[in-house]
Amino acid sequence: MTGEPLTADPPLRGAQGRVDDSAVLRSSLDEPERFGEIFDAYFAEIHGYAARRLGPDAASDVAAQTFLEAFRGRARYDASRAAVRTWLFGIATNVIGKHRRAEVRGLRARARLEVVERAGGHADRVDDRVSAQGLRGRLAGAIAALSDGDRDVLLLVALADLNHQEVAAALDIPYGTVGSRLNRARRKVRAALGGTNPMRDLEDDHG
Amino acid sequence: MDDLRTVMEAYGEPAAPTRREMAEARARMFEEPARSRRRFGFGWRAKAGIGLVAVGTATAVAVVALEPGSPAPRETTESVDLGRLAVLAAAEKAERQPTGKYWHTDTVSGQAYVVRAKTGTYAIYGAQDESFNWVGAKRGMGEAYYGRDLPAHPQTARDAALWREAGSPSRIRVWSGDHYATYTTKATAWRSDGPNVGVDPKGGGTFVDGKSVADLRKLPTDPDALAAMFLGWTTVGDDPGRRAGADSREAGVRRLLAASKIMRISAVLRAPIPPKARSGLMRALAAQPGVHPIGRVADPLDRRGVALAGDERNVTVTGEYGASKADQGTYRSRQVIVFDERTGALLSRQEMLTVPGGPYAEMKPGFIIEYQANRSAGWTDAKPKPPVELPF
Repeated sequence: MTGEPLTADPPLRGAQGRVDDSAVLRSSLDEPERFGEIFDAYFAEIHGYAARRLGPDAASDVAAQTFLEAFRGRARYDASRAAVRTWLFGIATNVIGKHRRAEVRGLRARARLEVVERAGGHADRVDDRVSAQGLRGRLAGAIAALSDGDRDVLLLVALADLNHQEVAAALDIPYGTVGSRLNRARRKVRAALGGTNPMRDLEDDHG
Repeated sequence: MDDLRTVMEAYGEPAAPTRREMAEARARMFEEPARSRRRFGFGWRAKAGIGLVAVGTATAVAVVALEPGSPAPRETTESVDLGRLAVLAAAEKAERQPTGKYWHTDTVSGQAYVVRAKTGTYAIYGAQDESFNWVGAKRGMGEAYYGRDLPAHPQTARDAALWREAGSPSRIRVWSGDHYATYTTKATAWRSDGPNVGVDPKGGGTFVDGKSVADLRKLPTDPDALAAMFLGWTTVGDDPGRRAGADSREAGVRRLLAASKIMRISAVLRAPIPPKARSGLMRALAAQPGVHPIGRVADPLDRRGVALAGDERNVTVTGEYGASKADQGTYRSRQVIVFDERTGALLSRQEMLTVPGGPYAEMKPGFIIEYQANRSAGWTDAKPKPPVELPF
């Protein structure tokens, strides 16, 4: 990927928005119902992001609140700063921020779940095993233990597939801060993943 | 070890939102009472347009109510039949398009501005841009989004003559709601790097509402089934209780819903929908309350087609946000969707003036206030490239 900062991993999925989004948004100032196109294009994705972080019950409310705030604040959207998709993920992250305690509580509960070794899993790469297990054990514990800011950056990159520049725009933080937060979060995640080896789990503490 | 991918996979794929969740969220977004709108810093547009979303509030009624004594936006039975026939015939003529490896769409959009030159008032299209998008038929084949700014230009021959009389300015300063904006008569190069554009080599495979090519091939062709699938949310606010009354509030709800449906269908039709489903979608739209056939109209790319329109609405511009005396007043306009008469292809979605007034007092009925036109769409086997030549 040309132009990608060396510290950033290439996107896992397409993070780009649609080029006509900003035109749609602009015309929605005069024609509010045009905002329905933005809603149609991104509601499911924002809902999915919220569902992964907070579970399906809260997701409905978070996604609805995100689009309500976006719709009301659409006059302040700045197309030169961020794609519409990025802007929406920023709003969603702020809304999710009001449910931080629930998120951390949920992650801690998952951290207590046993990581069961998949049959024949000993030969697999650690990350393969973890993906098969879902969000539990040490990985969930490590994400729960991250600072709120570090967790937001990690999950915007990993779940929303935003690059550094987009995360900076979404959260309104300096570009350099994104890198340092992401590095810190990834270091902790890697340490936790290294510890998911079930043999080692028996010896290590489960904190 | 790709720890980011591991985190992503550990979080898993959540269930998609239900249609009901989406309908409720959409209704909540559009129907929130208007009382707080000033707090959120809306400009004059709140006055002109935002009130429309607050259906059911007194403000909204004032904005969308049909003026007493003004003719109802309804055509004679004869014109309904003729127009409907034309639209449906267009749908019938939609020919089977071959499939290919890449689906592309090329969309041009813009906004009208009125220039009050000393030598005479004329209209331009400004804030024009073109977006070119291609998507691989299958996931992993990639997808790309390109954009470029298009030159501002006078709308009609008469506007062009007045623009020349004003000295053929290449930079045109216009009043844009609550500030002045300047548009130039130059285009920019295509860009695929930056906000809202980009190339994703791993993307592809999904189209409208996340549907795959296979999903789209399996679409029903029955208009009711298609309406349930793509216009399902619009039943919120369109319940029989509301429909029973013939008051102005009901008219406002109907107008808003009809305009939303036109926009929704114009977005859906940009996807590779098979001809029979395409025809069904056109029929479904034509059958919606508040949607009327209006015969033939031209689109901003100078193509003539057959059109459906939503109910008219009043828009009042006041001086509250700095609009000059000349821009103040009330005009009426409606949302219009235009189809190619021969193929049934979507040509354009556009807001058209019906009764001049306010900023558009010197314009004629049929004047295009804002548009989104399909320049091209289709399948190719080669990876599509954005066109070099300008659309106008």
